[in-house]
Amino acid sequence: MCAFPRYSLLATSYCLILLLATSSCSKQEASLYQEQILALGALVDISISGVEPERAQQAASTVADDFNRIHRTWHAWQESELTRINARLPGGAAFPVQADLMPLMVRAQELSRQSEGLFNPAIGKLIALWGFHSDEPIGPPPDPGAVAALVAQCPGMDDLRLENNFVQSRNPAVQLDFGAIGQGYAVDAAIEHLRKLGIENAIVNASGDIRVIGKHGARPWRIGIRNPRAPGILASIEMQGDESIVTSGTYERFFEYGGQRYHHIIDPRNGYPAQGLTSVTVLHRDAVTADAASTALLVAGLKDWRRIARAMGVEQAMVIDEQGTVYMNAALARRIRFEITPAPKIEIIDSP
Amino acid sequence: MTRADFIVTLGAVALLPFLYVASWGNGARGEQARILVGGKEYARVPLYKAQRLEIPGALGVSVLEIKDGKIRFIASPCRGKQCVHSGWLALSGEFAACLPNRISVHVAGREPRYDAVNF
Repeated sequence: MCAFPRYSLLATSYCLILLLATSSCSKQEASLYQEQILALGALVDISISGVEPERAQQAASTVADDFNRIHRTWHAWQESELTRINARLPGGAAFPVQADLMPLMVRAQELSRQSEGLFNPAIGKLIALWGFHSDEPIGPPPDPGAVAALVAQCPGMDDLRLENNFVQSRNPAVQLDFGAIGQGYAVDAAIEHLRKLGIENAIVNASGDIRVIGKHGARPWRIGIRNPRAPGILASIEMQGDESIVTSGTYERFFEYGGQRYHHIIDPRNGYPAQGLTSVTVLHRDAVTADAASTALLVAGLKDWRRIARAMGVEQAMVIDEQGTVYMNAALARRIRFEITPAPKIEIIDSP
Repeated sequence: MTRADFIVTLGAVALLPFLYVASWGNGARGEQARILVGGKEYARVPLYKAQRLEIPGALGVSVLEIKDGKIRFIASPCRGKQCVHSGWLALSGEFAACLPNRISVHVAGREPRYDAVNF
């Protein structure tokens, strides 16, 4: 007869617990295919989980082609479909454009309207005047008189008539620049394309404009949010299903001149770089809305960002002011985890 | 409690710190860096070996430094120097890029702490 020693129950229990604990620690990650490309003046990361490497590689390659096509179509200062449209806009007559160019322009017009004009892709002339139609802006800042003259002409998306694949501008100062939503638009297009190819779990990240679908194996995707005030990660968030996260920051593109820093997010109301906030993070289902909203909220500043977020249908947003104080709504605060010690000063508000 | 129970209990308690670090700790330090030029892999380098690397890009040579398990840009021919301002990269999933010079550096490890970084 086989007799178990007296200690076997306790010892076996411990051993089982340890075995379970160690096996969960060394759990295998789902297969992940990653590819990086350079397009739209950005580093684009494509991560695909849960499919064979050959299929993932083909899908990523297709998406890379999409990015390159969008880059060639919408480039604001190298010869593109957009520069050809901009060349004809001051004439004032209606002219035809390719049908596939209309959706971005129509969406940009809607988003501009919702943002009360704070997201304004019609100020291409101002962006160029500040020298941001360059891979490496160097300044100097423009003449104040020239800035004031352009602002006085009030170029806006409502100056455009977009009908039946025809475009017409009633304001000769309108020049389009989709830099504030081009990456979000491309990310959305990439995710749509991946879905058509049967990919259900992926991340497309164009220089920080991120959209995720599905999961990374059994766990959600883990996203780090870069610290606007120092190198490294400020916070992290888990995302799954179908969701985008976009951050606009004054640290992304800028030049320094005469000891002063001038960033690339221009306030269309006064023609100067927006003041008050250093970064805005927006979560939304689609990346193009998150992209436009992050710019609009940064321009809106601390006083108005909540109102503009509501108007744009944004329910989760976080803004950081020049002192480093973080403001966010409760829905986002429940999901976000700060990764720096000590954590920044945080103010949580009930709704965006 | 028998002597054997005591030994098993002691062993379990002794393992707790290791389990804590493995489960909750910062177990995502990178082991190597992937260096891409023009989107194509140029080199993979371990982060345990201190060295300086000169990487030829579209504009000229970017200089990378590896030290104490970290990597950073220390010089690049771009004007903005945002790659240099990115500072040290150590955690798996972190990256920095000199877009004008078309060079990017990605820290890789067994399991990335972040699947993507938003900035």
